[in-house]
Amino acid sequence: MAGVRFEGVGKRFGSVEAVRELSLEIADGEFMVLVGPSGSGKTTALRMLAGLEAISSGSIFIGDRVVNQVAPRERDIAMVFQDYALYPQMTVFDNLAFGLRRRKVPGADIQRRVAEAARVLDLEALLQRRPGQLSGGQAQRVALGRALVREPQVFLMDEPLSNLDAKLRTQTRGEIRRLQQEVDTTTVYVTHDQVEAMTMGDRIAVMNEGRLEQVGTPEELYERPANRFVAGFIGSPAMSFFTGAEVGLNLPNVVGVRPEHVRPWREGLIGPLKGRIAFVEALGRETFVGVDVGEARLVVFEEGRAERDVGDEIEFGLVESGLRYFDADSGAAL
Amino acid sequence: MTSRAEQTLGYVILGVFSLIALLPIVGILFTALQDPDGVAAFGSLNGLHFENFKTAWEDGNFGSYLKSSIIVSVSVVFFATLFSILAGYAFGLMRFRGSTVLFYLFLLGLMVPTEAIIVPLYYDLRDLNLTNTYWALILPQIATSVAFGTYWMRTYFRTVPRSLVEAARLDGASTWFTLWRVLLPLARPAVLTMTVLLFMWTWNEFLLALVMVSDESLRTAPLGLSFFQGRNTSELSLMAAASVIVALPVVILYIFLQRHFIRGMLAGAVKG
Ligand SMILES: Nc1ncnc2c1ncn2[C@@H]1O[C@H](COP(=O)(O)OP(=O)(O)O)[C@@H](O)[C@H]1O
Ligand SMILES: [Mg+2]
Repeated sequence: MAGVRFEGVGKRFGSVEAVRELSLEIADGEFMVLVGPSGSGKTTALRMLAGLEAISSGSIFIGDRVVNQVAPRERDIAMVFQDYALYPQMTVFDNLAFGLRRRKVPGADIQRRVAEAARVLDLEALLQRRPGQLSGGQAQRVALGRALVREPQVFLMDEPLSNLDAKLRTQTRGEIRRLQQEVDTTTVYVTHDQVEAMTMGDRIAVMNEGRLEQVGTPEELYERPANRFVAGFIGSPAMSFFTGAEVGLNLPNVVGVRPEHVRPWREGLIGPLKGRIAFVEALGRETFVGVDVGEARLVVFEEGRAERDVGDEIEFGLVESGLRYFDADSGAAL
Repeated sequence: MTSRAEQTLGYVILGVFSLIALLPIVGILFTALQDPDGVAAFGSLNGLHFENFKTAWEDGNFGSYLKSSIIVSVSVVFFATLFSILAGYAFGLMRFRGSTVLFYLFLLGLMVPTEAIIVPLYYDLRDLNLTNTYWALILPQIATSVAFGTYWMRTYFRTVPRSLVEAARLDGASTWFTLWRVLLPLARPAVLTMTVLLFMWTWNEFLLALVMVSDESLRTAPLGLSFFQGRNTSELSLMAAASVIVALPVVILYIFLQRHFIRGMLAGAVKG
C-alpha cells in the first residue's frame, strides 16, 4: 500500500507543454479522479506516473520512493488501458496470469489469484476464451481483472469505460468503485466525463490546458469551485454565468448560478426576472428550461414535468445562497 | 452496391488478366511434356512425356545445383528473417537517438540494385578469400534481404497498438519476452509473407551466383538453367522441363504457406 505524490511535475513535447507544474498528493487507498477536457494533460500525467513517459521536470513519489528513474515494471503499478490492450493470442486465463508469471509468482498462487479475480468479476465461464471472442463489457472486465490479480500498490485507469455503451458504463462505474473499496488500493482514474468523476472519486483533480485547476471532494468542487473553469465544468446542466447589468439586477462581478438555484418566481427569491424560453429539456422527474434574459442565458429548474413552450415568457428568480461570484478578469472565485 | 452488370464486367476483366498471367505457365508445362524427338513448338501439347524431367535433371546436374540453392536460400532466409524481426522491432516500437538516420541507411540498401555493387563487392569478397564459397552468396544476400525485411517488419510493428507493448512492460515482461511471446505470435502472417518473398528472391538470384562462384559444385539452380540453355538450345522441351524443376520449390513453398497468410488476412478483416 502506498500513496502517490506529484511535486512540480512538468512534461513538454517539443513546444507543447502537456503538463505544467503539477503538484498533487494522493493518499494511500484513495480513489483520485483526474478530469478535464480532451488535451488537458490527464493521460500524460498518468503515463508519467506509470513510467511510460519520461518526466521533464519535478518528481513523482510512490510511497516514499522517488520513481522518476524507476522502470515501469519496478513501480508495482497496474494499468487499465482505454482499448484494454488484452493479449489477443492468449486465453483470458493466460491474460490474467501473464503479469504474475513474469513476476515468478508460484503456480498455485497464480491459480488461486486468477480464480479469485474471475469470481469477483464474473469471468469464470470465459477463462478459456480469447479476447476476440469477448463482448466489449467482458473484455473490459478482463482488463480490470488483469490489474486486480497483480495486487499492485497503485491502480491506474485511463478512460476505461469510454468504449462501453451508456447503460453498461453506469453499471461498471459502480462495480469499479466497489472493487476498489474492497481491495483498498490507491487508484488514479482518468476521465473527461464529469459525471464519472463526481460519482466515483473520493477526490477529484480538475485539469485544464496542462494545469491543475482545483483538487477537492466532489462536494467541494460542486459547492465551492475555485474558478469559472471548474464551476462551468462540474455539474450538468452547467452553471450559468452573467453580470448584474446583463439581467438588470444590482449584483457585482460575474455571477454564477446552477439550475437548481434558478426557480420559477415566488416570494423570497431575488427577482423577479423575465425572459424568453429558448429550450425545454423535460426529463420526467425534472425539467430544465433554458431562458434568454438580455445577453445572458440561464437554466431554470422545475420539479416534475413542466408544461412550457419555446418562445413563451417565463418569470423566475434566483436563490441567494446559490449565487457564486467570480472575478471578471481572472475568473477566480471571490 | 454493385449492379449485376458491373459484377459481370469485373469477373470478365479479372478472367482476362488471369488468362494472360496463366498462359505462359501453361505453355511451359505443355512444352515440358512434349515428345523430345518431335518438332518443338512452344505451348502445344502432343503427348505426356514425363521422362523429359528425368532427362533434364540428369543432363542439367540439378541434384547438385538444387542442393546449393537450398543451402544458400535456407541460410539467407533464416538469418535475414531473424535480423529483420529484431531490427524492425527496434525501428517500429522503440525510440532511440538516430533511429531516423539509421533507418534511411537501411532503405538505401533497398534501393541500390545488385548490378550497381556487384563489382566492388566481388573485389571485397576476393580480398577476404570468400569468393567461390557459399559465403559469397549468403552474406551479400542476407544484407540486401535485411534491408527489405527491416522495412517490412517495421511497417508491421507500427500497426501494433502501442498499448499492447506498454501493457506487457507494466506486467513485467522484458523487451525480449514481449517481442517473442506477445508480438511475434500476432506477426505470423507478416513474417510468413516476408519469408516467401525472401525465399523467392534468393532462390532466383542469378547475377550474384554468376559472378561470385565458378566452382561447378557451388552453382545454384538459376545458373544451372542458363548453362543448360547454352548446351541444349535445340531441345526446347528439356529446357522447359528444367525451368519447371527450378521453379517448383518456390511454388511449393508458396502453396504450403499461403493458407497461413490468407487466414491471417481474414482474421484481421473480421475484427475490423
Ligand atoms: N507523444 C506525444 N507527442 C506530442 N504531443 C503529445 C504527446 N502526447 C500528448 N501530447 C499533447 O499533450 C497534450 C495533452 O495530451 P493528453 O495528456 O493526451 O491529454 P488528455 O489525456 O487530457 O486528453 C495535448 O496537447 C497532446 O496533443
Ligand atoms: Mg487522454
